[in-house]
Amino acid sequence: MSTFLQAGANGLMVGGIYALIGVSLTLIFGVMKIINFCQGELLMLGMYTSFVLYDQFGLDPFLAIPIVAIFMFIFGALLQFTLITRSLKDEDDDTNVLFLTVGLGILFQNLALLYFKSDYRTASSIFSDKIVSLGVITVSLPKLVSFILLIIVTALMFLLLKYTNIGKQIRATSQNKIGAEVSGIKTKSIYAATYGLGAAIAGITGACLMSFYYVFPSVGEIYGTRSFIVVTMGGLGSVVGALVSGIVLGLMETIGAVVVGSSFKDTIVFLTFICILVVKQRLKTKRG
Amino acid sequence: MKKRIGSRQILLLIMLFLVALIPMFIKTPYILSILVMTFYTASASLAWSILGGMTGQISLGHAAFMGLGAYISTLLLMNANFTPWVSIIVVFFVVGGISALLLSPCFHLRGPYFSLVTIAFGEAFRNLLTNWNYAGKGQGLLLPFGDNSLILMRFKSKAPYFYLALVMVILMYLLVKYIDQSKLGYALKTVREDEDTANAIGINPWKYKVIATFISCGLVAVCGVFYASYIRFISPDIMMQDQSVKFVLPAVIGGIGSAIGPLIGAIILTPLSEYLNATLSSIAPGANLLVYAVILIVVILFQPRGIMGWYENSKFKIKLNNWLDKLDGRKKE
Repeated sequence: MSTFLQAGANGLMVGGIYALIGVSLTLIFGVMKIINFCQGELLMLGMYTSFVLYDQFGLDPFLAIPIVAIFMFIFGALLQFTLITRSLKDEDDDTNVLFLTVGLGILFQNLALLYFKSDYRTASSIFSDKIVSLGVITVSLPKLVSFILLIIVTALMFLLLKYTNIGKQIRATSQNKIGAEVSGIKTKSIYAATYGLGAAIAGITGACLMSFYYVFPSVGEIYGTRSFIVVTMGGLGSVVGALVSGIVLGLMETIGAVVVGSSFKDTIVFLTFICILVVKQRLKTKRG
Repeated sequence: MKKRIGSRQILLLIMLFLVALIPMFIKTPYILSILVMTFYTASASLAWSILGGMTGQISLGHAAFMGLGAYISTLLLMNANFTPWVSIIVVFFVVGGISALLLSPCFHLRGPYFSLVTIAFGEAFRNLLTNWNYAGKGQGLLLPFGDNSLILMRFKSKAPYFYLALVMVILMYLLVKYIDQSKLGYALKTVREDEDTANAIGINPWKYKVIATFISCGLVAVCGVFYASYIRFISPDIMMQDQSVKFVLPAVIGGIGSAIGPLIGAIILTPLSEYLNATLSSIAPGANLLVYAVILIVVILFQPRGIMGWYENSKFKIKLNNWLDKLDGRKKE
C-alpha cells in the first residue's frame, strides 16, 4: 500500500510539471490556435536561462523565476511578432505553422547543443536535498515548492483570462479574430502577448524543473509531446482542464510504472492518449 | 496523341546514365556513402509524400514504420535466414497492414491531432522495442557480417549499395509519379483539399486515407529493409522523432505534393547535412541540424510551396521549356 501511496505522491509532483507546461501550451494552442511544436524547446530555453543565472550569479532557481519569466515573455512575444505571425496569414492551412514550429524547435535545440554542449547540467537551490515526510510518504522539497507554485500560476492564469481586461481581449480574439478587430482590439499585439505569456509559463516550468532535474539540449522532447497530451486531454483552452489532466498524466505514469514495470510506462501513456483522442473525436462527431 | 521521345526524355536518360557511372570514377567510400544516404532519404521522403503530401495527413512518425521494416527484415534474416529480397515484400504488406489497422480509427482526427497520433505511435513502438529482449533491447541488433552475397544483400564495398539505392529511388519516384497521375492520386488530392466535398462526390475520405497509409508506410518500411542491409546495425534510435523529421523535410523544402519535390529536396539537403556532420560534428555538434532548421524556416516563411512551388511560377521554367522545345525542333504555338 505504501508503495502505491508513494507512487501517487511522486505522480502528483511529476504531474505538476506536466500540468504547468500544459497550461502554457493551452494558451498558445488552445486559446490562440497556434500549433506549437516547439513548446518543449521553450521549456528547455527556460531551464538554460535559469541555469545561466545560477552559474553566473549564483541565483537560486526559485528566485530566478521572475527574471526567467520576463525574459521568456519578451522572447516569445518577439518570436510570435516577427516569425510565427507571417505563417498565420493563411487561415485554413495550418501545416505551415506546424512545420515552422518544428523548424524552430530543431533550431533552438541545436543552438543549445552548440553553445552548452550535450553535458547534463544542474543548478542547486536552497531547498535541494531536503525531504518532507508525511506519514509513510516522502516528498523532496523542491518538487513540493514547484507544485505549490503550479497552483498559484494556474490560479493567476485562470483569473487573468476570466476577469482582467487583457484576458477578455485574449478570449475575444480567440473566438473571432475579425470581430475582435472590429471592436478595436489590437489582435496582433494580443497574439504576441499570448504567445509571450505561454512562453513565460514554459520558462517558469523550466526554472522549477531546474531545481530538481538536470538540463540537456534535448530535454524538451519529452515535455513537448507530454504538453500536447495534457492539452488535448484537458480540453482546448481550458486552464483548469490542463491542471487536472496534467496531474492525471503524472499519476498514470508513476502508478502505471508500479503496476506493469517502469520500462513500458511510455507505451501506456501514449496508447491511452491515442484512445482518449479517438474516443473524444467520436463523441464530438456523434453530438454533431 | 502518341507520345514522342523528345529531348526531355533523352536528357533524363543521359543524366541517369551519368549518375549510374559515378561509382566507376569515384572510388572514395565517403562520397559514395553520401550519395547512398541521399537516395535513401529521397526514397523515404517520396514514400512519406504519398500520405503527407498527396493526402495532406502530416505524419511525424514515419521513422517508426521504417524502423519496424528494418527490425522485421533483420529478425527474419537472423533467425530464419530469410533473404532481404523476400523480406521487402513481406515487410511491405505487414507494416502497411499494421499501420493502416492502427491508424484507421484516427483518420477522423484532423490537422495537428493526426500528427500527434503518429508521434504517439512512433514513441510507443520505440518504447516497446527498447524493452523487448528478443529484439536486442536498447543496444540494438548487429546484422551478421560475412562475404559478399547478393542474396543476403551484403556487400563489402559501397558501389553495390549505390546501385541498389539508385534503383530504389527510381522505382519509388516512378511509383509516386504514377499514383500522382492516376485516379487514386486525384482522389487523394481531393481528400486533401476538402474532405466534405470529397465525401459529397462519392470519394470516401476514410477509405482513401487507409489506402494512402498502407502504401506510404509499407514503402517506408521497404526503405527500412535497405537501411538495415546497408548500415548493418539497427537500434530503437532509428525510430526517433527527429528521424521522422528527416523524411519530412526534403518533401517540405522541395515542394509538397509533387513527385519531384522530395527528390530535389533530398538532393539538396542530404549531402549538405552529411558534409556538415562529417566536418563540423567534432567542433560544433548539431551544426548540420541547425542548417536544416534554418533552411526549413526560411522556406516556410518565404516560399511555403517549396522549391518546386517557386519553379512552377518562375521565368526559369518558361526559358527551360522554350530551350527544350527548340532542341526538339518544335515551334512554339
